[in-house]
Amino acid sequence: MGLEVDIIFKIAGVGIVVAFLHTVLDQVGKKEYAQWVTLFGFIYILFQVASIVDDLFQKIKSVFLFQ
Amino acid sequence: MVKLIGAIFIVVATTFTGFEAARNLSERPKQLRALKFALQSLEAEIMYGHTPLHEAARRLAAQMAKPLSTFFESFAGKLTNSETTVKEAWESSLKEIWKSTALKQGEYEIMRQFGETLGRHDRFSQQKHIMLTLTHLEREEAEAVQAQAKYEKMVKSLGFLSGLLLIILLF
Repeated sequence: MGLEVDIIFKIAGVGIVVAFLHTVLDQVGKKEYAQWVTLFGFIYILFQVASIVDDLFQKIKSVFLFQ
Repeated sequence: MVKLIGAIFIVVATTFTGFEAARNLSERPKQLRALKFALQSLEAEIMYGHTPLHEAARRLAAQMAKPLSTFFESFAGKLTNSETTVKEAWESSLKEIWKSTALKQGEYEIMRQFGETLGRHDRFSQQKHIMLTLTHLEREEAEAVQAQAKYEKMVKSLGFLSGLLLIILLF
């Protein structure tokens, strides 16, 4: 359970930092970089979440289907 | 514990990088102003003092602050000690100090072209060339001030935030 909480905090941290970076870059008129930063942050988090969901499905499979 | 120390190292390093870049940005207008001041002094030496070029360069070296003083010093030294043209001495001294300044390629080109005209005309055309160079430098300075106002804060916060992001990704 400790691991899950860690990952949630990590996702939140990435979200906050990426949001800050986006506003800072947006303010000086570098919109294209801001969008790239946001996109890469999003993709990174997506991979994290995908691997966690994959774990969940494996667990469900092992519990219900192949006993 | 080791992780924490590493994280602190990363943040310090990236923040320092950001501040260094910001310092470069704030240094450029200052050095451009000093450069303009040096050219004005050179003009005064030529027009009113009738000073020979190596003598004028030596006096400027005594007046100016660090990067420019070394420039005029080496320029004066080359003029007195070796058999070169003014243009070559100017260009090679310019190349020597350019790495230690915060100035960019545009200013280098302006100064190099000014060196080509130096010492080849009478006093009044020389004055006109100095005026022309000053106008160019003024334009560059306005551009540099604008860039400083725009990017200084961004570079600082960008350094810190990228360090933070790196830590979270590696944690």
